[in-house]
Amino acid sequence: MTRTIHLSLDINGRRHELDVEPRVTLLDALREHLALTGTKKGCDQGQCGACTCHVDGSRVLSCLTLAAQVEGRQITTIEGIAAENGELHPVQAAFVEHDAFQCGYCTPGQIMSAVACIREGHAGSDDEIREYMSGNLCRCGAYNSIVAAVREAAEMA
Amino acid sequence: MRDFSYLRASSAGEARQAALQAGSTLLAGGTTLLDLAKCGVMEPETVIDITHLSGLGGITLDAGGATIGALAKMGAVADHAGIRAAFPAVSESLSLAASAQLRNMATIGGNLLQRTRCSYFREPDVFPACHKRNPGSGCSALGGVTRNHAVLGTSDACIATYPGDLAVALAAFDAVVDLGGRTVSVDDFFLTPGNTPERETALQRGEMITAITIPASAAAKNSTYLKVRDRQSYEFAAASAAVGLEFEADGKTVRDIRVVLGGVATKPWRARNVEQALVGKVLSAETVEAASRLAMEGAVSHGANHYKIELAPRVVARAILKVGGLV
Amino acid sequence: MTIMEPRKHGDASDGTVGGRQTRFEGNLKVTGGATYALEYPLEDLAYAILVQSTIPAGRVISVDAEKALAAPGVLMVLTPDDDMGLLVASDWGGNRPDNQPYYPLPRQVQYNGQSIAAVVAESREQAVEAARLICITYEKAPHVASFNDTAAGEGKVMDNLTAGWGDAEAALAAAPVQIEGEYSTPREYHVAMEPHGLTVKWDGDQITVWEPSQWSHGMARSYSEWFGIPYENVRLISPFIGGGFGSKGAALAHGAVAAFASRKLGRPVKLALTRPQNFTNYGGRAATRQRIKIGATEDGILQAIVHRGASETSTYADWPEQTGAATPILYRIENFSSQHRVVPVNAVTPGALRGPGKNPSAFGIESAMEELAYKLGMDPLELRLKNYADHDYQSGKPWSTRRLREALTEGAEAFGWSRRSHEPRSMRDGKTLIGWGIGCGTFPVLQAPSEAMIRILRNGRVEVVSGAIDMGQGTYTILAQTVAEVFGIPADQVEVHLGDSRLPGSAIAGGSMLAGSILGAVHKAATAARDELIGLALNDEKSPLRDTGANTLTFSGGRVAAPRDQGPSLTLSELMAALGRDEIEILRNTLPEGATAQEQHQAWTSMVKVQGPTMGEYSMHSWCAHFAEVRVDEDFGTVRVSRIVSAFDCGRLYNPRLVESQWRGGIIMGIGQALLEEGLVDQRNGRTVNSNMGDYLVPTNADVPHIEVISVGIPDYGASALGGKGVGEVGIVGVAPAIANAVFHATGKRVRDLPITLEKLI
Repeated sequence: MTRTIHLSLDINGRRHELDVEPRVTLLDALREHLALTGTKKGCDQGQCGACTCHVDGSRVLSCLTLAAQVEGRQITTIEGIAAENGELHPVQAAFVEHDAFQCGYCTPGQIMSAVACIREGHAGSDDEIREYMSGNLCRCGAYNSIVAAVREAAEMA
Repeated sequence: MRDFSYLRASSAGEARQAALQAGSTLLAGGTTLLDLAKCGVMEPETVIDITHLSGLGGITLDAGGATIGALAKMGAVADHAGIRAAFPAVSESLSLAASAQLRNMATIGGNLLQRTRCSYFREPDVFPACHKRNPGSGCSALGGVTRNHAVLGTSDACIATYPGDLAVALAAFDAVVDLGGRTVSVDDFFLTPGNTPERETALQRGEMITAITIPASAAAKNSTYLKVRDRQSYEFAAASAAVGLEFEADGKTVRDIRVVLGGVATKPWRARNVEQALVGKVLSAETVEAASRLAMEGAVSHGANHYKIELAPRVVARAILKVGGLV
Repeated sequence: MTIMEPRKHGDASDGTVGGRQTRFEGNLKVTGGATYALEYPLEDLAYAILVQSTIPAGRVISVDAEKALAAPGVLMVLTPDDDMGLLVASDWGGNRPDNQPYYPLPRQVQYNGQSIAAVVAESREQAVEAARLICITYEKAPHVASFNDTAAGEGKVMDNLTAGWGDAEAALAAAPVQIEGEYSTPREYHVAMEPHGLTVKWDGDQITVWEPSQWSHGMARSYSEWFGIPYENVRLISPFIGGGFGSKGAALAHGAVAAFASRKLGRPVKLALTRPQNFTNYGGRAATRQRIKIGATEDGILQAIVHRGASETSTYADWPEQTGAATPILYRIENFSSQHRVVPVNAVTPGALRGPGKNPSAFGIESAMEELAYKLGMDPLELRLKNYADHDYQSGKPWSTRRLREALTEGAEAFGWSRRSHEPRSMRDGKTLIGWGIGCGTFPVLQAPSEAMIRILRNGRVEVVSGAIDMGQGTYTILAQTVAEVFGIPADQVEVHLGDSRLPGSAIAGGSMLAGSILGAVHKAATAARDELIGLALNDEKSPLRDTGANTLTFSGGRVAAPRDQGPSLTLSELMAALGRDEIEILRNTLPEGATAQEQHQAWTSMVKVQGPTMGEYSMHSWCAHFAEVRVDEDFGTVRVSRIVSAFDCGRLYNPRLVESQWRGGIIMGIGQALLEEGLVDQRNGRTVNSNMGDYLVPTNADVPHIEVISVGIPDYGASALGGKGVGEVGIVGVAPAIANAVFHATGKRVRDLPITLEKLI
């Protein structure tokens, strides 16, 4: 017996209504139900960081979060961090400038993680950035550039 | 993942009541539950979301120690200045665990209930035999790929390693788990598998961890958590040690020492024999290395995990020497 | 021809060939706007999930799908009982058996984790739940879990990989200094961040497939052949791909399953492999082992190399991971003998993974060279320079370009190699042992014919159109730069359309052959389009440039003018308006003149026209030298790479910013290979037990130090039209031995079997 529940989610400052089964994760709700596909599915088991988004300003893995759990919370995804006029967030701009990605698939998660990393105060040195960005795997190997981009964005912040 | 119904608890009492139902499970950070539900290991019929309960996430500190609400996030506790000052090993064990994202999700109570990373436990369709999942069905790990399996506290029924970091640090300082109606020491909270590997903790159906209390001590204040692993970050321990040390007034004789091992045993492994061997002794590299070897008393290897028997005492020794100011 | 939506550009700071233009599609990737294969919203989508075997060998007796079919939302279950009516498609060489049925869900089980059934449901969650209700009954057969299994045997010699010249055995026996070692590498996996999967939709007998692809045309051909429909009826779309590393070059069984399900249901279907299925469903790098014997004089001149290697393959196909690929060409060697075997085991057929062949091969020879250096008491850098190959001793041909000497010397200079102390365990920092090591790498230059279309639009923009793939190497960017240079316009005036099998054919994005191949076609087409425009501008009576009397025109600074300031200068849009033209469209390819339609199809959809490194007058390869520093905890055996300097000869670099990223990426994958990566196989049932990203470890950010990369290359116009050699594969080759050599220098322990995990050092 499949039961659906009605959810009202606050995503990137907008209210989204959806009917889903309780077992639907935030990640699948975004990608399959709300056409917000910027958040990526890399492993679906909390091991890669590609699905990182913010819940109440804190970086979390949307693959291990139920959509139902975050009703009433503020959710921010990669689609929600550039300015209304399309101007890139400083972390996004730094990623382009430093070539901090290749295939681009881990990139939204890296950027969401980096924005939070800077906000948390964990971007004080290259070694600290490396450690606090280690929850986001990048198989193309853009780590040097990611560190450079986070460092630059942190210095600007 | 099997379909389940979702209940958002409005009070701890309601959550406990709902959790009495067979097939129901509490959902906090979700990092273990949803992971294992996807693996087909956990198949709850009802998930009781307790993440919206208020009053269970606080961190309070006084001269007697710290009380950490069960719903406090790992990341918040790791970054808490008071915890870092009074219990450095606790703070470090959290900072070295998982990733920043997972630490923002996972709660302190949930972290204690983290389940083993045994590959055989996690793949029920390929490896049906697992006493922990299905009592009486056998143990697929025995005779399999055992590099990450335990060498201490194992039985013929189960060799799965307890994977967590925090509980290792908590066990060192006699922390107590508050289950609402009763309290249990962290050491007693975790069970060795014996013939009942499906029973991992003292938690009973309908019970819920509400808080963890850590008594203050000089040893806790002078403590460290050392974690050795293949990868620099985002990995479980190959071997780890939480160590706290208090010297006599002479600054070299051991008055109190706490040693707990992680990554090598079926539960956080308090090495009281190491502690006893060092109390009253003047700390030196030689005494520490000799005592640390006692930690492996009773250790059993299963082939590929043999290295842990070599590695773990070295990790213990380094951690002791570090808090002793000798490295 | 369908032209896809234009993409927004990055900043055009340096938009000509060789410039450091930022990534053309960068803004799309940092905003979540780049759309990958599973991200196309379609009405009425159904979701498919694979069910895989849990035994390594045998036969499916029955599949009980009753419970699954009764589960909520389930639309269909496919099993070996379903004859899908498919035919086997061509292999990479374009060879195809006649009318041989194809069973993507076969009854015969040849490895653990083979797809046996599929469940299609209204939602992914429903399909996943129902998949677990499928009950498969097997008749088990004996299996061989790995080539270390006693039942595996010696395997079979691959005659085409046997090489030899001189008298290696005699020269070895006569050599005063000899070393011998056996080197092995485990199964390794691609672990691209984007899992495999596809979205597929039929419209009558036309099929559209959104699937991550390193080769849109080659994969489209498979779909057309499986389903017996004309090639033109297939459209495979892949404008973005979340990493491939060799795994996404061919259509796989799950694609056929999804396409069949979609046709049968009359609905679009999305099929995503779970992360664990990405370890079992297609092959990574085969496990290898190789024995190397080297004979040398006392002053370190190589006399002979004898190499015997083997790699695992499956029981149903021979895929050699060629352990002797780098062995014959790195050094001057007069007496050489090499042989490679494949050993069938019950595993999925291995595949290409970054630096195939060359990579494990270099681990062997570059480890052995350092063993020889220590035996001789000689600096490993000196030994390598002393045995520098002045030509290719295998083919006998001269190198086209080979700047490996410069890579070694300039890399050594940047690394500070001269400050090294030779003895193992002679450098330390407290409990930390420090070691330095070198590893050289190489990868052949491959060339494939390609085709590109250029369209000059009335608005002054220029489009370049190709079916080529950008999986992060920078295809979008370098195509824009090439066209910008030809027309003297900023790169942001160029639009690039890629990743669609209906667009002009292209080399595969693999084997490091795409950039050099496709730029040849793009440059040719762009030049032809410019020439056409020049002809019109000089001859059309409406053209303001007609009366300048010039016989050619210049394209610079966004304007078209006669040379020496004769007459007016116009922008492209002004000129197109003056000519009254809406567009000028030119299609060119790099096949020989007069290639038939069939030859063209064959060129775009198979590997038969690919040119190897020694098919011409020269021997053409990329080269590199890696210098690694490791820090090893003396008590714990943990190895951390603390410094890497790598110098590369990849010819001319079309965009150094992007090339440096690719080199670093290869090096980082090499760090993983050296220290972390290993598929752990349960010998009892042949299952890879660490089939996830928490247990199969790839490097994290914290595992990677700053990596200094240096280019020592010079343009090689024999290798490609614009002077570049391959970039993507060579970066990983030689990294693992550099690290293993550094570990030896640090600890005095020679680890010959990767990865170098802590238990091997304590």
